[in-house]
Amino acid sequence: MSNVVVLDNGGGLIKAGHGGERDPTVVVPNCLYRPLSSKKFLHPSPLSSITSEDLTSAAVRRPIDRGYLINPDLERDIWSHLFSSLLHVNPSTSSLLLTEPLFSLPSIQRSTDELVFEDFGFNSLFVADSPSLVHLYEASHRPDGLVSKAQCSLVVDCGFSFTHAAPVFQNFTLNYAVKRIDLGGKALTNYLKELVSYRAVNVMDETFIMDDVKEKLCFVSLDPERDLQMARKPGRQNLLRCTYVLPDGVSDTKGFVKDSEAAQRYLALTDGVSRRPVEARKEMDQTEAAEKSEDRRRIDLTKTEFDLTNERFLVPEMIFQPADLGMNEAGLAECIVRAVNSCHPYLHPVLYESIILTGGSTLFPRFAKRLEKDLRPLVPDDYHVKITTQEDPILGVWRGGSLLASSPDFESICVTKAEYEELGSARSRKRFFH
Amino acid sequence: MDDDSANPLRRMSSRTRKVAPKMAAALGSTDNRNQAALARLEALENDNAGIETVEINDDDEASLDDDDQVYMQKKLAKGTKRKTRQAKALENARKAPRTFLELLHEANLEALPPHVPSYLRAAVGPPSSTSRRHFCSVCGFTANYTCVTCGMRFCSCRCQNIHNDTRCLKFVA
Repeated sequence: MSNVVVLDNGGGLIKAGHGGERDPTVVVPNCLYRPLSSKKFLHPSPLSSITSEDLTSAAVRRPIDRGYLINPDLERDIWSHLFSSLLHVNPSTSSLLLTEPLFSLPSIQRSTDELVFEDFGFNSLFVADSPSLVHLYEASHRPDGLVSKAQCSLVVDCGFSFTHAAPVFQNFTLNYAVKRIDLGGKALTNYLKELVSYRAVNVMDETFIMDDVKEKLCFVSLDPERDLQMARKPGRQNLLRCTYVLPDGVSDTKGFVKDSEAAQRYLALTDGVSRRPVEARKEMDQTEAAEKSEDRRRIDLTKTEFDLTNERFLVPEMIFQPADLGMNEAGLAECIVRAVNSCHPYLHPVLYESIILTGGSTLFPRFAKRLEKDLRPLVPDDYHVKITTQEDPILGVWRGGSLLASSPDFESICVTKAEYEELGSARSRKRFFH
Repeated sequence: MDDDSANPLRRMSSRTRKVAPKMAAALGSTDNRNQAALARLEALENDNAGIETVEINDDDEASLDDDDQVYMQKKLAKGTKRKTRQAKALENARKAPRTFLELLHEANLEALPPHVPSYLRAAVGPPSSTSRRHFCSVCGFTANYTCVTCGMRFCSCRCQNIHNDTRCLKFVA
């Protein structure tokens, strides 16, 4: 009995593979999609494979709403496709390590258990929460770091559905201190969709394309005030403007950034030093020429491309100040402070020094830098603030799960099928101490 | 958040304006604005644009199995009793996936004693400072002005005109 399936069932992406391996075998969107050309909902193909799927205007069905599994029937479809044609495992001879969001409702836990044991018939199940897995991975990854010495860390998981700041101590998430912001990658994509649809082209149906736009073009601003000023400048002086070309469905089915070099120009803004005037003037000359031709081109291509300027940083900005969106919630830095303050005072200095960022939404460039900038004024002077970004924030949770699954006593902490049948969902769940 | 209209010190013009009764009702309460704002936030969690349509009737058709035909035939063969429309609707309502908020409401987390951590208590809570930056709803830059009709923000005359022409919720109801 060595076959453990590790399944990080995220709202956006499923990360699945065999316990003990370094990387998951498949990463696949946790949804079904229906392209315009089809009547049926189809399974999306894994991210690693190169496909020519036409995702334009595809309708999406997701089994997970606000981070929690609400549609078990749909999830069964997705999982059975995953187990049979992507992972090639036989559930009845394997164990399952499944991640579940914090504070799952009893009714949701029950339907998850039914899905695992009754529909798929797994041998045994272990339900883990993502912060503890991230902690486990980081602690074993850097054996002489503070995280593993103090056995304590603060995991900031900024994922698809929501953002959690969760203190972890001795591999257990301190659930009384966890704080949540109801903003994640999905809300950000939808916000970007709304902005672009109002200002340029109607893209309200283009979930997948706007995801791509967000991933490629959005970044976190270190100084939004200054960047707003920069975004006002006309023409090529504007370091923030860049153009995204929508797919036309004929020559390409994927959108792309028109000038990817231009998209990176905002990086020059960090230094705060203006470039030498000669260089600037030379660029100006080029600019005018380029602008004219560009303007002419724009006239006949208006339908297929749009410009982004301030949207590029105002969208991720919402995680740091949800109030700007009209949400009555504190920003990420304050969220962290509140989570830490709910813990024992002895833990405070250690927690501030071992902040781990994970989750796909932390992939925005400069996320960690900005967080540190926001957090520093809120933390007492004599504490250090140290923010670590995981090397692969999307897979971090899965890797922790893989480690746990390969540990020798994994079998003993699982709930077996027999136990589930004997005790039922609620009582067998007590074993996981959530 | 916008408490401008609640401010008693705010000077109002004494000029009487003629407004349609429906408009007056919409203007009178800040509730509508709040509702519109909440609806906008809700919309950020939608999977697809527009109204979420749960396609229950198409479910058989849209199911992934390729044995639809067989299934339909079986159904016809078995079809001794034809369901009434009402019974069908009831069954659909039972089968339909419920939203997370419904499940949350059902779980009745408010009844738990205050020391038990739960979904509701994990929410981060309101920000410590009430200051809020406002961005123009048209162009995205800092907005200093508020639309008197619907409460959205704009930064300049130009943006105001665009806002009035396109997005202003004249009757927020």
